[in-house]
Amino acid sequence: MKFFGLLDLLLFGCFILLIHGITESAASSPLKDPLLGVSPEDENYFKGFSTSSMIKCKDGSKKFNKSQLNDDFCDCSDGSDEPGTSACPNGKFYCKNAGHSPLILYSSRVNDGICDCCDGSDEYDGKTKCLNTCWEAGKTARDKLKKKIATYVEGVTLRRQEIEKAKLAIAKEEGELSKLKDEEKILKPLVEKLKERKEQIEKVEEEERLRIEKEENKKKEAEEAEKKETKAEDIEHAHDDIQDNIGTVDQPPQDENIGEDTESLSREELGRRIASRWTGEKTDQHEEVDASSPDKDHQNTDELSNETNYDEEDNAYTSEEDEHKFDDDDDDDSKDQVDDFGTDDHYNPTPSQKLDSDDESDFSDISGTSGSSWLEKIQKTVKTMLDAVKLFQTPVNISDAAHVRKEYDESSAKLSKIQSRISSLTKKLNQDLGPEKEFYSFYGQCFETKQNKYVYKVCPFKQATQVEGYSTTRLGSWEKFEDSYRVMQFLNGDKCWNGPDRSMKVKLRCGLKNELTDVDEPSRCEYMALLATPALCVDSRLKELQDKLDSLNKQLPQLHDEL
Amino acid sequence: MGKPLSTLVFLLLFINCVYSWKKDEFRNCNQTPFCKRARSRKPGSCSLIAADVSISDGDLVAKLIPKESSQENPAKPLVLTISAYQDGVMRLKIDEDQTLAPPRKKRFEVPDVIVPEFLNKKLWLQRLKEERIEGGLVISSVVYLSEGYEGVIRHDPFEVFVRESGENGKKVLSLNSNGLFDFEQLKENKEDNEDWEEKFRTHTDKRPYGPQSISFDVSFYDADFPTKGPGVDDSEPYRLFNLDVFEYAHDSPFGLYGSVPFMTSHGKSRGSSGFFWLNAAEMQIDVFSPGWNNEYSSVLMLPTDQKRVDTLWMSEAGVVDAFFFIGPKPKDVVRQYTSVTGTSALPQSFAIAYHQCRWNYRDEEDVYNVDAKFDEHDIPYDVLWLDIEHTDGKRYFTWDKMLFPNPEEMQNKLAAKGRRMVTIVDPHIKRDESYYIHKEASEKGYYVKDSSGKDFDGWCWSGSSSYIDMVNPEIRSWWAEKFSYENYVGSTPSLYIWNDMNEPSVFNGPEVSMPRDALHHGDVEHRELHNAYGYYFHMATAEGLVKRNDGKDRPFVLSRAFFPGSQRYGAVWTGDNSADWDHLRVSVPMTLTLGLTGISFSGADIGGFFGNPDTELLVRWYQLGAYYPFFRGHAHHDTKRREPWLFGERNTELMREAIHIRYMLLPYFYTLFREANATGIPVIRPLWMEFPSDEKTFSNDEAFMVGNGLLVQGIYTQRAKHVSVYLPGDESWYDMKSGSAYKGRAIHKLEALEDSIPSFQRAGTIIPRKDRFRRSSTQMEYDPYTLVIALNSSKSAEGELYVDDGKTFEFQQGSYIHRRFTFSNGRLTSSNAGPATAGDHKYVSECTVERIILLGLSTQPKTALIEPENRKVDITWGPLLLRGGPGPSVLTIRKPNVRIADDWTIQIL
Repeated sequence: MKFFGLLDLLLFGCFILLIHGITESAASSPLKDPLLGVSPEDENYFKGFSTSSMIKCKDGSKKFNKSQLNDDFCDCSDGSDEPGTSACPNGKFYCKNAGHSPLILYSSRVNDGICDCCDGSDEYDGKTKCLNTCWEAGKTARDKLKKKIATYVEGVTLRRQEIEKAKLAIAKEEGELSKLKDEEKILKPLVEKLKERKEQIEKVEEEERLRIEKEENKKKEAEEAEKKETKAEDIEHAHDDIQDNIGTVDQPPQDENIGEDTESLSREELGRRIASRWTGEKTDQHEEVDASSPDKDHQNTDELSNETNYDEEDNAYTSEEDEHKFDDDDDDDSKDQVDDFGTDDHYNPTPSQKLDSDDESDFSDISGTSGSSWLEKIQKTVKTMLDAVKLFQTPVNISDAAHVRKEYDESSAKLSKIQSRISSLTKKLNQDLGPEKEFYSFYGQCFETKQNKYVYKVCPFKQATQVEGYSTTRLGSWEKFEDSYRVMQFLNGDKCWNGPDRSMKVKLRCGLKNELTDVDEPSRCEYMALLATPALCVDSRLKELQDKLDSLNKQLPQLHDEL
Repeated sequence: MGKPLSTLVFLLLFINCVYSWKKDEFRNCNQTPFCKRARSRKPGSCSLIAADVSISDGDLVAKLIPKESSQENPAKPLVLTISAYQDGVMRLKIDEDQTLAPPRKKRFEVPDVIVPEFLNKKLWLQRLKEERIEGGLVISSVVYLSEGYEGVIRHDPFEVFVRESGENGKKVLSLNSNGLFDFEQLKENKEDNEDWEEKFRTHTDKRPYGPQSISFDVSFYDADFPTKGPGVDDSEPYRLFNLDVFEYAHDSPFGLYGSVPFMTSHGKSRGSSGFFWLNAAEMQIDVFSPGWNNEYSSVLMLPTDQKRVDTLWMSEAGVVDAFFFIGPKPKDVVRQYTSVTGTSALPQSFAIAYHQCRWNYRDEEDVYNVDAKFDEHDIPYDVLWLDIEHTDGKRYFTWDKMLFPNPEEMQNKLAAKGRRMVTIVDPHIKRDESYYIHKEASEKGYYVKDSSGKDFDGWCWSGSSSYIDMVNPEIRSWWAEKFSYENYVGSTPSLYIWNDMNEPSVFNGPEVSMPRDALHHGDVEHRELHNAYGYYFHMATAEGLVKRNDGKDRPFVLSRAFFPGSQRYGAVWTGDNSADWDHLRVSVPMTLTLGLTGISFSGADIGGFFGNPDTELLVRWYQLGAYYPFFRGHAHHDTKRREPWLFGERNTELMREAIHIRYMLLPYFYTLFREANATGIPVIRPLWMEFPSDEKTFSNDEAFMVGNGLLVQGIYTQRAKHVSVYLPGDESWYDMKSGSAYKGRAIHKLEALEDSIPSFQRAGTIIPRKDRFRRSSTQMEYDPYTLVIALNSSKSAEGELYVDDGKTFEFQQGSYIHRRFTFSNGRLTSSNAGPATAGDHKYVSECTVERIILLGLSTQPKTALIEPENRKVDITWGPLLLRGGPGPSVLTIRKPNVRIADDWTIQIL
């Protein structure tokens, strides 16, 4: 039905054209306003006609006279003689749009039957009637602009505060860093001395132990021999167990490769496999598709990519390995923790941040104002201790030995904490946190947004990920800011099957709070997202917006005159 | 020295680089029993003789019987019919004798390919002339064919040929001159130790009717051996079997998406001839090297005074229904061939503009963004395409409700800018009881059946799927109804259709297609019509688009599979090509070959479907693709986005210019599309079609003609510094960009420019343009024209302009403007080349000519006089091209403002 409507419309269009054509060819008149489509900046250029009968095309290629101006024939290939018609493809048409902002159009939009200027000035050949919508459009635009300005005004303040905070925090951290470095300087030799002493004590103890052992050995030789036999058996058993364990873990994961041999496949598998050549999906782990359940099927063919399956399996495999490691290497646990502390620096508390509270509280005893006092205390203690146990007696005084050992353990733990703190602070302070350190608060922070079934997580200076259930896909590691700090770039994420490594660009916009939105994948495996943040609410931009609003407002009285 | 061009459709070309193409998944000749058998036969082994030769019902009829039939196994005779048609077409049919004991099954004859008008052109043969040739030993029967040509059947051994009139007339085309004819008649039962089943990889073909293949040799005279490109494996015949080949090699004779069993030969001395076998079963064709049959020369009686190219045609099933086209000009052969299978449909004008496609534009927002970006960058486009992901789970005629919640609104928004959309509709139907198409099709029994009679169930995009049986007109009609606005919910008048996967592609079928023993309407086996399946699907879809507007508007349907006659239903493209320079290079011979087989409206995916083109390749592809009849950018979903604005300002500019060239030339292209519609002559043509006696053009398939007026030379290498172009003919050529003249019949080494590929206007032609650029072709409708006159050595030129409403079928009632422009003696005349009176159906246009450019005028006149108005206008120096920066100035008649609909003359003063 609609179609007939359209046909009628076209016929109608032709009819209008016919009448118009006659009038035009009869009159063949130049435009009523010879300066139609001329922008204010160009008015001077056309004033050339007041002193000379010919003026040069802007590109200097030719000259044209006044009657050639806007005569609907392109004389200058740069379009300078036809600002108001579509004759020159390189031309630009200026519409005043009183009540709204002026607009510069490609000449191709002039008299093309589509209203582009809100004042309708681009459609003047009578074929298309355009309503003047500048007042409404202008109002909407001004309101929008005002809102934007309001956001900026507030945002600029927030940004300044952020920058102030950042400056303070950085100063504090720099102070802390230099203090920690000083402390390290003092503590390091102490720990070494303690270590030396501890080793001396241990050496003496060991000698003592060996001596006693020898005596006891002699005494209990017979019983010892008996005991040993049974023990050996146990050890053998244990060994077997371990081997079994290793055996299971070492088994390679199921072969992921799509074999080229299709002979043994079921017809359905074959179909999927051939289809996968075009789609790039892996077919091995496809679930059975239930054709009668459209929803499930839809998910399966469209969304449930096999990479995800693959990842899940991968994860399963890794975690199994981890578990195993954990069982075997209890001793490494403490080291892991230290590592964590070094890499996962969550220092600055922000709303969306997840604190690693253990590390933080752990550290509180060596940081802060009381810092110097504990160091002095240690220094004193160690001094007394070393003085006290100047000469060794044999056997070693047991309480002294324990004291030294304890002191060593404590201070070396403190030293390594200080060292890892130094390294993380150095790393942080060396980051490009923006020209005014306005991105300081991004450090250690992550921003999340949920889109359909995926949770996207962007951690500046670290990485971006896509989480679906228990499966995490890395979209990229932090690379750098781009485009004058308006884009954050993450590169070298997980590889796409038959495609590039994943990557993500996060465009930054001025906003009152940090908010991640609009994640998109414009090309396969190349992600885009928007992040609103006060960090982008720059004064200069605010000024631009205000100027724009001023110029819009200036046009208003004029509009009323016209009305 | 001439050379025939094997017009076996598609790729005959060059260079080895087979990456992913899984060669072993497809059968070669040795794995194909009928091909293997036919190739093992020796020349002269056919023992059939023609008997009872007579005239009956205006045809020559005869029986083919074995010379010595044995007593115990009396062979059934074959029936042979020769008919003549106007304009130099001879038709030869050979089939089993239906009057004898009824055979188990009637052999399949391909319906709905020959146009009804052709049958009306039959010449009623009256007379049969008997003559004794070869020293009176051999009897032949001769019939009149056309002025100067005769059809001849030699009786013993039987041979059919076309010759120039007279007993000693030179042969043009012949069949069975090498005695390789063989026709396997259907048998009732298996003979002992005969195995009818065929196995290929995991698939078994039951072949319940046993072997039924046909093969014969065809000779083309006064033509030399066609040089196959280096790298083409001579051991394999050209295979005509419609297949969906993943990442196809550009240099292989193996089957691809479409098949047209039509071969053209061309030689300098006599010209062109053509041979077409209407048969939809798998076909294999050998082109023999000269001397291949020397050892049999004593048994064969072949003329020695004529150069000859022998070919062997083999088909798995069907009948002999062959057409001999006598030429003698290349354009005559195409015209004769399209008089049988029909000429190209005239597309709507939007369809020949630029199309933007990608697998997939994800959702409505994506569509709006892409649409807006084209405007932002002042790049025109006319059609935005949606691939399979727009559907609800690959159920065609549906929309993914999450991604496309408001399809009508989306289409209407684009339509407001004069733009259209295309959605994809494939022939595999998801076997889902809740899907209305499946429900209806299975209830009505409209699916192709497997060999056991159940609905065939194969795997494709939609998972477990069945395939509509398109060979049945009733089912086609049912299918066509599905495109009505009521049935196709969310469709609007600005929505058009794309048919993909219609070879048909069956992911888990033999060679990624349908089993040959699947059954169609009327118990026709799939093997008998395989190559025509996609054609019928294309036909039914196009019918649907015509029906939805009560037959008013022309349809637009793009199809991947094709067959003789596909040109009547829409465009085709060269399928899933790859983003490399070889594929850019091969796109030219591929589209040229399609044009020679009457399928004028074709093109390759700009940029290459698989893989990421580097920027230079993409730019070069746009520059070349702007001259493809079908101009569409497309990309696989694993590739990076490649819309023209994504590669920096300079490259955006280059691609914009390339697209603008196409829009500028739209009036010329549309005129050429009309020419193809009226005569069959393709829009883009190999050089030898325009210059049939210039041998240097014969093997040149890197340059091509757009109509008779433009020569285009692609640039096919990276960082090319220079490009050589051969300009044929005696007249000179004008560089389309600089206006400089170049001598004809010479190779010119030119600097390879970044901003364009070489293109030249032939002296003596007039090309109509529209130099104003718009958002889409829709807004160009009322824009004024530019005429570019390139004068030849006698200071004359001519050209044509065809204009109609660009949309409806009204033009078939004479509602159009067709002008002929001639320039001679300093005077340009516009005269009517269309119908004298169009009656009620007059097409009215107020469009004028705003600019006339004169190339090759030695004087520098200042004014021109327009008559009959008796109005003087200025002649000035103006730019040759309005875009692309300051260019050269050329003599320009400024603002003549004459209406294209009128008669007028313009005298240079």
